Amino acid sequence: MNKDAAFDAVIVGAGVAGALIAKRLTDAGLTVLVLEAGPGTSRGLDDYTRHLERFYAASAKSPESPWPPAVGAPQPDTTALRNNDGYFVQRGPNPYGSSYTRLWGGSTLHWLGVSLRMLPEDFRMRSLHGVGRDWPLDYTALAPYYERAERAIGVSADVADQSYLGVTFPDGYDYPMRRVPPSYADRVLGAAVDGMPITLGDEEFAIRVRSYPAARNSIPRGDYRPAGAVDIRAGDGSSIPPLQGERCQGNTSCTPICPVQAKYHAGKTLAQADLRFLTVRVQAVASKILVDPASGAVQGIEYKRYDDPEAASHTTRVATGRTYILAAHAVENAKLMLASGLEGPRGHVGRTLMDHPALYAWGLAPLDVGAYRGPQSTSGIEELRGGAFRARHAAFRFDVGNDGWRASTGAPDTAVSDAVMTRNLFGPALRAQLGATLPRHVRLSLAVEQLPDPDNRVSIDPGYLDPLGNPRPVIDYRIDDYTLAGMAAASDVARAVFRRAGVTDCTDPSKGSWFPSVFYRGREFHYHGMGHFAGTHAMGADPAGSVVDADQRAWEHRNLFLVGSGSFPTMGTSNPTLTLAALALRTADRLVESLLP
Amino acid sequence: MSAAKTGDASRLDQFLAFSAEVTAFGVVELQGTGQAEAYLQTVDDVVGAALVDELLVLHAKAPRATGNEGRAARGAHLRRTIFGDGKLGPVARNIVKLWYSGVWYELPGAWTETYGPAPQDVTFVVSPSSYVEGLLWTAIGAHPAGAKAPGYGSWAAPPRIPRFADDPVSPPSAEPVDGTVDAERVPA
Ligand SMILES: Cc1cc2nc3c(=O)[nH]c(=O)nc-3n(C[C@H](O)[C@H](O)[C@H](O)COP(=O)(O)OP(=O)(O)OC[C@H]3O[C@@H](n4cnc5c(N)ncnc54)[C@H](O)[C@@H]3O)c2cc1C
Ligand code: SF4
Repeated sequence: MNKDAAFDAVIVGAGVAGALIAKRLTDAGLTVLVLEAGPGTSRGLDDYTRHLERFYAASAKSPESPWPPAVGAPQPDTTALRNNDGYFVQRGPNPYGSSYTRLWGGSTLHWLGVSLRMLPEDFRMRSLHGVGRDWPLDYTALAPYYERAERAIGVSADVADQSYLGVTFPDGYDYPMRRVPPSYADRVLGAAVDGMPITLGDEEFAIRVRSYPAARNSIPRGDYRPAGAVDIRAGDGSSIPPLQGERCQGNTSCTPICPVQAKYHAGKTLAQADLRFLTVRVQAVASKILVDPASGAVQGIEYKRYDDPEAASHTTRVATGRTYILAAHAVENAKLMLASGLEGPRGHVGRTLMDHPALYAWGLAPLDVGAYRGPQSTSGIEELRGGAFRARHAAFRFDVGNDGWRASTGAPDTAVSDAVMTRNLFGPALRAQLGATLPRHVRLSLAVEQLPDPDNRVSIDPGYLDPLGNPRPVIDYRIDDYTLAGMAAASDVARAVFRRAGVTDCTDPSKGSWFPSVFYRGREFHYHGMGHFAGTHAMGADPAGSVVDADQRAWEHRNLFLVGSGSFPTMGTSNPTLTLAALALRTADRLVESLLP
Repeated sequence: MSAAKTGDASRLDQFLAFSAEVTAFGVVELQGTGQAEAYLQTVDDVVGAALVDELLVLHAKAPRATGNEGRAARGAHLRRTIFGDGKLGPVARNIVKLWYSGVWYELPGAWTETYGPAPQDVTFVVSPSSYVEGLLWTAIGAHPAGAKAPGYGSWAAPPRIPRFADDPVSPPSAEPVDGTVDAERVPA
């Protein structure tokens, strides 16, 4: 087995967490090796365009459709959920409905870009609401890193919209770019529902449609320069300095692929790193962490390198460094630990897996709202993310869709099929029917909080291996009553919102795309995953119930860090990436302090 | 409009004339998508050129439409002879869907059992550009997801749904909610 020369840091995974740390360390002059499981086909503009064309040509335009995996680095696919024949070995009782991307750039290649901060109360669920667990750090400790993360990934928002439920900003702070203009649909819905009272338990809330912070380029503030499309040429590894970032053009395909790269992806950060100190090795799948049994110190990371993305043949090598950072995604981090026989204190690695199981509500507005235009969403309803009711049931937030019923029913294509096949329309009658109904399509996504449950977990089983011989993730997952009661409350609120806005509720899962169902008190909910994997190597104040400390450093391996949303003790209702980015930047500071002479 | 001049035209022209009538887009608009040849080829490949000819000839023979009554009579004729026909109807509907979404949809099982086999009859996107050129986006005042982006901030304004010849109903028009709708629009 070949050993590579030693680096200051070896990072596993070229996703957002790994990229942010790689940039910070190389900027400080530290040498970094990034091992990336997938191919580097999102580095060059030409290759990126091929991913886009692949999306155009896909008959199922799923989140994964532009990003096919290599044989050696398989990934989950939401279209495999129904038959449970995908990469995940799903043991239920509920299917885990989310996916991620194993390519250079990671899952931010197909994320939506919602970049909310967590609420201060989210960090103290045990103390305040008697459920879940507290974080070993609080909002105040993370706030400066949120600011840095907002700059690093390029978030567009106005502070004036974002101070609610205890979220605060220092005087004079604002986001690096102005908010992405809210859609016409946001304004129509907002005009109808802003100020609407909602009662949960004995608390009353006044909800409103609010622009959310988005990692999509908008109009910069001050000296901020938005990053544009990445074009790293394979031959010399040199990067054309990222172009001045183009503003969001309204392509309505942030998920699964932003054609103009106005949306952030981790490649932008990698392209901005100090390339003199950065080595990125693609098609290199970390397969084992080599540990000194006496001290627990990591001595190297074994990885399998393949030349042909279509084949399983590979060679095995070992990467060495002074320190090691697993940034391979919540599931792959846990899997890699388990595959190396490292189960963490009290076997916590892989446990307390969470997501934001989410429901769709869809309806027909009385007038055109201009559906199928603009970023897939630009606003949400955020007031029900916090409150005393969280002692009893899950909090939730709504995403107000701009892309009609695409996610819930497969429209507009299915609407065309329906009009032609069922309504027998053609000619002017067909065109008029589509023009009169589709622009009125309204969709809400109701994303519901989930608590850490040790039985929800990622594990491995030697009976289930991928083509390189690495274990496939085995998933046990159950949605408990706390979340189900939150789903019930969220659906009731969605119904009330539609009623108030005069929207005909068309939510009928039997007529929509297939999603797995759960049952609660005689009601059936069809849920989908949000891609918000978390909790698989949670941080804590002491090793008793956690895998890493507040710096994301493994309790049992002092030169090993596990970064990403796997470190979240609880996840609240915010999409995880901004928070995991803030945590990564905080960890990077600690690493620079300890690695610099 | 365009249907009348199919008599001596080439096969592609006949296909365009039929397509224009059943999609409610003009021949020039259809030609502008650059997809006509690819679509005709697709239909030929899947169901055979003979069947396509049968359809086009029937269409060319449909009575000329003048005035509202004529249009209704012509519509009824098309429905009876083509869309209501067990063999031609499913193919005609597939041509409509092809133009609207760029996708060839697998024909109903009953069709293939009776008139098949049609080995190439699976659901597929004809080409990346056929997806981008789908007519449905124009029909609904939008643009294909991932292409033909309308520009920064365009989504803050009410949609514009283009009018078209023979539009039977006036769709509800969008009213600005308040005067600030365009306030954040900044020329790109
Ligand atoms: C459809 C969808 C929409 C989403 N939208 C949002 C959103 O709006 N807002 C939000 O906050 N979050 C969103 N997310 C979640 C977001 O994508 C993730 O939180 C984020 O990308 C995680 O970053 P990461 O760096 O931890 O992991 P990833 O981005 O997954 O990166 C991990 C990297 O590690 C590599 N890797 C994996 N295994 C190995 C190995 N064994 N060896 C070497 N390399 C390896 C992978 O190839 C990948 O490049 C969404 C997710 C999905 C699926
Ligand atoms: S709306 Fe379009 S341009 Fe804007 S971020 Fe999304 S995909 Fe990119």
